[in-house]
Amino acid sequence: MLITGIKSRPVYDQLVPMASGLRHIAVAQGSGGKPVLRLLAEMTAGQRASTTVVYSTESFTGNSYLSELQDQDDVELRVVATNSEALQALDDVLSTANMGTRLYLAGSEGFIGTAMQVASAYGLDRDEILREHAGSFVRRVWCAHCDTYTENVTTRVFRCPGCELDLVVRDHYSSRLAAFQGVKADGEVPGELPEIEELDT
Amino acid sequence: MTTAHNGTLALRVDRIEPVTPEINRYTLSAADGAWLPPFSGGSHLTLLIDTENGTRRNAYSLMSSPYDASMYQIAVRRIEDGKGGSVAMHRRISVGDVIPVTIPANLFPLSKHARHHLFIAGGVGITPIFAQLEELNLKGGSFEVHLAVRGPEHATLGRELIERYGDRVTLYGDGERGRMDIAAVLAERPLGTHVYVCGPARMIDDVVDRAHEQGWTDSHIHYEKFEDAGSTGEPFTVTLAKSGAVIEVSPEQSLLEAVEERGFKLPYLCRGGACGECETEVLELDGTLDHRDDWLSEKDRASNAIIMPCVSRATCSKLVINA
Ligand code: FES
Repeated sequence: MLITGIKSRPVYDQLVPMASGLRHIAVAQGSGGKPVLRLLAEMTAGQRASTTVVYSTESFTGNSYLSELQDQDDVELRVVATNSEALQALDDVLSTANMGTRLYLAGSEGFIGTAMQVASAYGLDRDEILREHAGSFVRRVWCAHCDTYTENVTTRVFRCPGCELDLVVRDHYSSRLAAFQGVKADGEVPGELPEIEELDT
Repeated sequence: MTTAHNGTLALRVDRIEPVTPEINRYTLSAADGAWLPPFSGGSHLTLLIDTENGTRRNAYSLMSSPYDASMYQIAVRRIEDGKGGSVAMHRRISVGDVIPVTIPANLFPLSKHARHHLFIAGGVGITPIFAQLEELNLKGGSFEVHLAVRGPEHATLGRELIERYGDRVTLYGDGERGRMDIAAVLAERPLGTHVYVCGPARMIDDVVDRAHEQGWTDSHIHYEKFEDAGSTGEPFTVTLAKSGAVIEVSPEQSLLEAVEERGFKLPYLCRGGACGECETEVLELDGTLDHRDDWLSEKDRASNAIIMPCVSRATCSKLVINA
């Protein structure tokens, strides 16, 4: 019952310019640079002039689109080294943004999920945001026992760095926590672990 | 709490106050002296008003506090060339009269996620906002009100709001300030602002257009949709499977109201297509359903197997519901 099809996982979009917006903010991490470059290429000169890109070079796969993004000289670019700095920068930009703003998110699932939390806190609605998944489908996991969040989990069973329990990653994604839930793996029969397969998603 | 019989509450008129040359405020309470059903800011009542040409069903927004269950207040503007309901309210109804009134329904609720609420109203359109402000004031939400009136003698309700909420309320056309510039009111608002507009159709269109021009998305724009989302439309017939009762739904009432009028009960909460409470299974259908709720998913709608009787209708030769 723990591991079934993932119905709660968000359905992602493709980044395309939202023409009704007057100001555009794109936030990307690692491989997410690629969809943002595509987005910028589809924008009009006017849209590019009212666009801010926040790019984090932190990446699980090692892909970087930094130099291509730096070549877009009519677009305002803020480069940061970590995803958490990117979220801070997003918070910053949103704090002075007005109604009429559109937000574009691209990167790993965990990154998009946490960026969505920042956006929701500013009252942005789903019709003002597009999200495109990029890179590997690593999971951000929340430990149901010690409340620790672990980024970039790729296997079905892993050891929680917080409480050192072996956790099985459930297929239920909580958008409130922006994470998948991890629960004690040998909860039913002590010592008996499910197979440590790769997460296929 | 007072209960509905055949879908309506019996409410007694306790007080009638003229507030402008055209608008009277009515204070109503339960004829049996019991508490009234609760409501949320933005709700309306439908009054069944006796006129020379039969019963009129007129919807009026509740303007009293949602936290006061002892009375309801509504404001009625007299429309001389209307269908006669408002004129009857002004000329025939007096203190002590008892009027059948439907249970409050909300088609104009406050957004729960808004960081700032911006209200734009014209004339008697200010009434639902009275109740919404009571709610926001108690919950501590941030808001401001822009109200346009046609002259100082029409500004009484606006002045009452200024007394309660001070400079969060701006009055236009009262002799002191000129016309409202809607584009300027909407300009440079922080993220998470929601606008609510209630007034003449022209004003609603204007606000929606200006907001779109400034890049607002529809999720942040709210207006009272009595005509298009409220349940009026072509008449149809529904059969209740459990009792076999065959019920006519008239053009001016909802399926839920028609069922209640015949003395049957269906579950409900919001009566506005938002809460999901009234969800009812469709057993047989010969025709199409006209889904007007905000509750069912696209898939549920397409299935033709579920209907929300508080707002949705049907164009059909046969409709049997599991009730
Ligand atoms: S009563 Fe709430 S949806 Fe019908």
